[in-house]
Amino acid sequence: MLEEIIKNYLINTKGKDASLFNDPQLQVAALELDSLDMVEMLFEIEDRCGFQLPDPTRYPKMGFREMLADIEAAIREHNNGELPDLRLEGEQ
Amino acid sequence: MTKVLITGMGAISPLGADLPGSFAQALAGHCAIGPAPADIAKWLPDILLAPAASEPHTLLDSKHASLDRASQFAMVAAGEAMTTANITPQPADARRFGVFVGVGFGGAHTVDGLYSRFQSAVQSEGKRNPVLMHPLSVPRMMANAAAAAISMRYGLNGPSNTYSVACASSAIAIGEAFRAIRDGYLDAAIVVGCEAMLTPGSLLAWNALRVMAKPHADDLARSCRPFSQDRSGFVLGEGGAAIVLESAARASARQQPALGELCGYGCSSDAAHLTAPSSAEQVYAMQQALDDAGLQPADIQYLNAHGTATETGDVVETESIRTVFGSREHSQLAISSTKSMHGHLIGASGILEFVLAVMAMNSGSLPPTATLEVPDPRCDLDFIPQTARHGCQVDAIMSNSFAFGGSNASLVARRYPQ
Repeated sequence: MLEEIIKNYLINTKGKDASLFNDPQLQVAALELDSLDMVEMLFEIEDRCGFQLPDPTRYPKMGFREMLADIEAAIREHNNGELPDLRLEGEQ
Repeated sequence: MTKVLITGMGAISPLGADLPGSFAQALAGHCAIGPAPADIAKWLPDILLAPAASEPHTLLDSKHASLDRASQFAMVAAGEAMTTANITPQPADARRFGVFVGVGFGGAHTVDGLYSRFQSAVQSEGKRNPVLMHPLSVPRMMANAAAAAISMRYGLNGPSNTYSVACASSAIAIGEAFRAIRDGYLDAAIVVGCEAMLTPGSLLAWNALRVMAKPHADDLARSCRPFSQDRSGFVLGEGGAAIVLESAARASARQQPALGELCGYGCSSDAAHLTAPSSAEQVYAMQQALDDAGLQPADIQYLNAHGTATETGDVVETESIRTVFGSREHSQLAISSTKSMHGHLIGASGILEFVLAVMAMNSGSLPPTATLEVPDPRCDLDFIPQTARHGCQVDAIMSNSFAFGGSNASLVARRYPQ
């Protein structure tokens, strides 16, 4: 679900080409997100997991999948190793 | 000093989603005032509003969806004005093209949303973190958000300045853009006024001032009654309006017809009271604008009054107009308060009323003070009661904006021969 939330934001709000995400080697830098885009993207997750993810400047140096794994690890660290339900109220 | 021409105009208002629609409804005497939605009416059952005729985001690209509602109004109005002026993004003289915006409050919807989210999270029994806010909250709510959005949309590298002068904000934005072009600092400008504060928080604050109109017994829509004996205050509206100003040389070089010449601007400060107006300084603003234009009072045929329908404001403005233009017996001036129909758009009111006045000048049709049924004897000028007047020869117009805080602005425009 984490991957879907971020991909949906990047495709629907930032107009990124959906086919970009077919590349397993996709780099975050290739998405050409500026610092405002990055914090806006992270907010999509933070709003659901209830805490602010640390230091967003790390992510442009990572691969896309590496970033997803890093975000998931941060969420698990805040939830005793569990990945909570990331649906917002009202989402099925 | 160069002549400053109006080459484009636009509006999204309670009367219409564009300027021709808004003007047509104004001429029809349509009052776009109604009850508040449930989330506001549950606290303020008698409060009345004049919401925009169309949702601004439906008229914009999806990439502008994250802007505050006030900035969305600005973008819609600017788009119409730039289209009518035949100006496309990235003009070759981008550094000589400025952005001037007037806004009274700015991002009221963002601020209200922020507090609403905070309160909701506080009451969620730990389910949500009250500290987490959208990272674009500040860029959305900042007063110059609209100016930033417009300068980026059109690639304009001249100054992008925002004037926050309450009800006179966009009139002063027009005046300052006028001076910048007339005095040679710029060759063109897009001027925009916008406001969107029909939110629970801001309406609670406005209600506390005791200046809001009470519902009229016969017809809610006719509750804002400027210059009328039974007036009870104003109705808050929302929307935006825009004009494109160009030096005569720039407009001529690209053979762009002018909608009129902006030729006079006067401004002053009461320096006396936060909300009570001063006739002497209103008079001074109007006289400056006439002097600036090189016109006599008799050269103005139509005046769009500030006309808020407050007890003091209407009487003082009448006194000021009478001082400048003479009594009804000695003047041919026709005056109306279009706030009777579109409500008070605060930061956007000055420019909306100015573009309606320019439309009146060019069409010869004068919008009425639609709700003026029983005139206050102290308001004894020709306020075009109830119905529009057609077939008028209008060579020049004036538009007044007098703000809380004591800031006054008057603008004069005249026909420009093609």
